Amino acid sequence: MDMSSKRIKGNANLRRGLGSKTTDSDKIMEDPPAGDWLALRSDQLLKWIDDAVYNAAETTGMREVVDRVTRPIFNYAQRFSPHPLHFGIMCCAIEMGQASAPDHDIDRLGLVYRSSPRQCDVLIVNGPVCEKLRPKLKTLYEQMPEPKWVIAMGECAISGGPYWDSYSVVAGADTFMPVDVYIPGCPVRPEALMHGFLTLQKKIREKEPGMFLRR
Amino acid sequence: MAEMWISMGPQHPMTHGLWTLKVKVDGETIVDADPELGYLHRSVEKMGERRKYFMNTTLTDRLCYASSTTWTHCYALSVEELMEVEVPQRAQYIRTIMLELQRLASHLMWAGAYMPDLGHITGALYFWRDRELFLNLLEAPSGSRLLYNYIRIGGVKRDLPDGFEQKTERILKLFEQRLDEYADLFENSKIFRMRTEDVGKFTAAQAQNLGITGPNLRGCGTKFDLREHDTYEIYDEIDWDIQTREAGPGYSDCFSRYMVRIDEMRESIKIIRECFKKMPAGPTMASKIPVRATGEAFRRTEDSRGEALMYVVGDGSDRPYRWKIKSPMFTTISACPHYLKGYKVADIPAIMGSIDICIGETDK
Amino acid sequence: MEIKAFMKEVSSVKGVTKVGLVRNNVVKCNLDKEGSKDFFVKLKDDFGFEHCSLITAIDNQPQFELVYHFSAINGSVFVKDSSAAVMAEIHIFLDRDTPTVESISDLWFGANWHEREAFDLMGIYFIGHPDLRRVLLPEGFAGHPLRKDYVYEIHEEEW
Repeated sequence: MDMSSKRIKGNANLRRGLGSKTTDSDKIMEDPPAGDWLALRSDQLLKWIDDAVYNAAETTGMREVVDRVTRPIFNYAQRFSPHPLHFGIMCCAIEMGQASAPDHDIDRLGLVYRSSPRQCDVLIVNGPVCEKLRPKLKTLYEQMPEPKWVIAMGECAISGGPYWDSYSVVAGADTFMPVDVYIPGCPVRPEALMHGFLTLQKKIREKEPGMFLRR
Repeated sequence: MAEMWISMGPQHPMTHGLWTLKVKVDGETIVDADPELGYLHRSVEKMGERRKYFMNTTLTDRLCYASSTTWTHCYALSVEELMEVEVPQRAQYIRTIMLELQRLASHLMWAGAYMPDLGHITGALYFWRDRELFLNLLEAPSGSRLLYNYIRIGGVKRDLPDGFEQKTERILKLFEQRLDEYADLFENSKIFRMRTEDVGKFTAAQAQNLGITGPNLRGCGTKFDLREHDTYEIYDEIDWDIQTREAGPGYSDCFSRYMVRIDEMRESIKIIRECFKKMPAGPTMASKIPVRATGEAFRRTEDSRGEALMYVVGDGSDRPYRWKIKSPMFTTISACPHYLKGYKVADIPAIMGSIDICIGETDK
Repeated sequence: MEIKAFMKEVSSVKGVTKVGLVRNNVVKCNLDKEGSKDFFVKLKDDFGFEHCSLITAIDNQPQFELVYHFSAINGSVFVKDSSAAVMAEIHIFLDRDTPTVESISDLWFGANWHEREAFDLMGIYFIGHPDLRRVLLPEGFAGHPLRKDYVYEIHEEEW
């Protein structure tokens, strides 16, 4: 499923920020889809208001201004508190646990493992993804709120690793979900996991856009 | 009251791996359970048929991530039986030391995972800290932290490094002191005992029929340990005792299973010390190892979790024709409706944690 | 019962052939498919093999072979002057066209999932099994992958 195309609603050009800064009021505030104001359901009304506010903020340049101001704050918070999902598949899960043990103490980087995907930002795929697991893993990924990142930890999650000729192991997690950071190793050492998270922080600092009215 | 099914897993803090436990509850009481496996089925047996005998140690290492040495050892032992390879005496001693260090690390990992199940995060941190000591020890000869690939067909990869004995002795001494501290922290703790005593009971006769082996069976008071009863390596030359506990006459509960593992750790320390004392000099690898094999052979060993058995069939080529792995946890998980029935939903982590689940070997 | 006496008693049972020793504590024998259940009942009740260790299915092309491993945990069968626990290894041969055998999961519960696994990966049907479903592979998986004639796609060349 293509996630990006689903997100674009209303005027596609405006939404992407590609279109010219139009002053045409018709385009800024499009009429409701049915053309009838009274016939709107409450969710349709909310969506219409949502779209209108977004379009107005985008066109007037407000969105960019607010983004510039708030981006460093949000970005700082995201970088230093990536909450990973408490989810173990195979060997690397043990090293993931060992990394949060006293010797390595990965909590220093702000990592707090949460057991519910609704409270998480990072999904660590730490083992081979089998055909039976794949739909469940995808559900877990979709349950996590935006913004979210995926770390492929270890050879199995990168490419299938030692199980490359198996009939049930998927050839890498990136065949069915977007992966941000790859950590090689079999198994990954706790120090490598830490480095992976530092890489993720760097990526968030450089690549992550602002948060105001983000879709 | 109406009965309903609750599904736990595959992502659930209780599961310690990837499996689903569906329980049928009547209010808070468990009426029935249906475990589901297969989320980690990597088809190791089929892949083993495509690889040569000596290549398969890579796969057996990754069978159980908590105790990889014991599984590689079980495979090496079966193939040596098939090929009729004689392992040198020194290699047998080194293997025994590594197996017992691995058992310590595995039991520590179990204890570290069991404590958060009971709401005791501090305990987890203590046990994980101690596990790191043994990982360092295992890393010294093998060069890897978790998956060692140290035991090979015909012996071990290389000899122990210099100063290994002194280093081990130092760590064992430290760990013995800590075990005494933990006795005060857990065994004498009223909350811990309330949470584990009289929970998850099964009798010895039941356990044997259900296919439960290892520390879980010895927690019922049955004196059965394959190190003694199907002896391998040099366990018959060493003075050690089988550790058993029972909660009552012939049955076990979570606490007795916990105590068996703690006692086994003390016993492992004893075995390692004696091995160092008796270890002879000599080669660590058999001089001649055949590449091809014909016939069939099996050996069973005492894994950290129970009876591990590998059945290897050779057809005269350099790859196994069929290779079957018996995992102790496979049958123990299958029996979970029997020992979960009648307890409350809140007892599930305490019971399932106490049997020491490892899904890697179970799903193969 | 001493292991020699046990071997003598086993070889007198109908359907049992080729009784022999693998090691000093492992007895091996072949068993006919018909009437196998009677032998297993005898093995459990009379000889006291309380624990079913493993059921292995082998694709011998063309026929299938089932290998059962039982162990006597309580020492009802023993080896003289040894602490070794006795194991029984029993081979049953099945036709490729009718890979069916009677289930023993009502005698040993520990055999229940081993039979399910043999059904899942090798396609052996156990008659009388209470719940013969796939256990490791997802529902709807086509074929039985451990059979030698199972073909699957590998994305690299064999080495």
